Amino acid sequence: MSCTSIDLKAYALGELDDRGTREAAAHVHTCNECRDELERLRLTHMALLSLRDEEPPRRIAFVSDRIFEPKWWQRMWQSAPAMGLASAALLSCAILVHAYTRPAPVVHTAPVADAAAIERRVEARLNERLSADLARAVADVRRADEQKMTQLLAATQRDNQLQRRADLAMLRSDMEMVGKMNTRLYTAVANIEERP
Amino acid sequence: MIFREVEDRDLIAKARRGSVDAYSILVSRWEKRVFNYLLRLVGDREDALDLSQDVFLKAYQNLKKLEDPDRFASWLFRIAHNEAYSLLRKNRPDSSEILSEPSVHDATSRMYPMELSLAVERALSLLSGDQREAVLLKIFQGFKFEEMAEILECPVSTVKSRLYTALDLLKTTLAPVEARGAQ
Repeated sequence: MSCTSIDLKAYALGELDDRGTREAAAHVHTCNECRDELERLRLTHMALLSLRDEEPPRRIAFVSDRIFEPKWWQRMWQSAPAMGLASAALLSCAILVHAYTRPAPVVHTAPVADAAAIERRVEARLNERLSADLARAVADVRRADEQKMTQLLAATQRDNQLQRRADLAMLRSDMEMVGKMNTRLYTAVANIEERP
Repeated sequence: MIFREVEDRDLIAKARRGSVDAYSILVSRWEKRVFNYLLRLVGDREDALDLSQDVFLKAYQNLKKLEDPDRFASWLFRIAHNEAYSLLRKNRPDSSEILSEPSVHDATSRMYPMELSLAVERALSLLSGDQREAVLLKIFQGFKFEEMAEILECPVSTVKSRLYTALDLLKTTLAPVEARGAQ
């Protein structure tokens, strides 16, 4: 590669791509003239960089300029604490307005605990329950007695009926016997009367 | 450098949303570079400081027009370049070539009155305005050729031509100093 095809200044300034850098480096390695020129360029570069930057005599007065000062709503919008404070203030106002405009709440007084009344109520409730239980027990007993009485009556009626039937059968038998005896008697009497 | 770019992008985004604090941080990061660039262009501290303020003011006002936040540096230096040229045009309206006769810094006003620094200042002052600006952007600010072309609003070939000519001149001017420094 010839010296003219190498951009030695671009190489010294780091402006070549990878391929160009490799080619330039290879050429400089073999060409004394270009190597000397590159050395001079580097010395010049270093000499230039010996010129140090100065500090500005004063800060750029940017923020103090009035036109850069944000509007009050911009400052508030950008400031989280300010937004928080504003939100809290707004919430407080809303609570106050609500408190003043809302109708007064109806106060429901809690009933005073009366032990005696409670005791009376409990006793009454117990009495009611006992009475109900008692009435239920009495009804049960009565129902059982009635059933027993009904059964006894039925058995008695059945016995009486059987007894009456037996008595009737005996009476009928006696009546038949009496009839027969009467017949015999009438017959005997008639026989007697017919006898001379 | 990558971290710095990321942070700059964040600051730019915040500044675009109206955060003056974010922009103030951005200013504090770039003010020294912009000030020194302008100082070496116009050769006067007060002018450089006034111009720096104007640059950051215009940058803030036009921040929403910045299309690519990653190119903030070249965009900012383009504003600085335009501001410097506006001032010099105002001061020398008849001058066809701006910065053709740059002022030389007073040696006693430098913070580093070393021989090499003085020689470099002297060598820079011998360049034309365009050449010196090309050297400032490349050597002192580290911009790429494409970025320099954006800042200077000229083709890359023009940038390279100015810079290479300037380097040849500087190399010749500074050769005795370098030789002495090497001894």
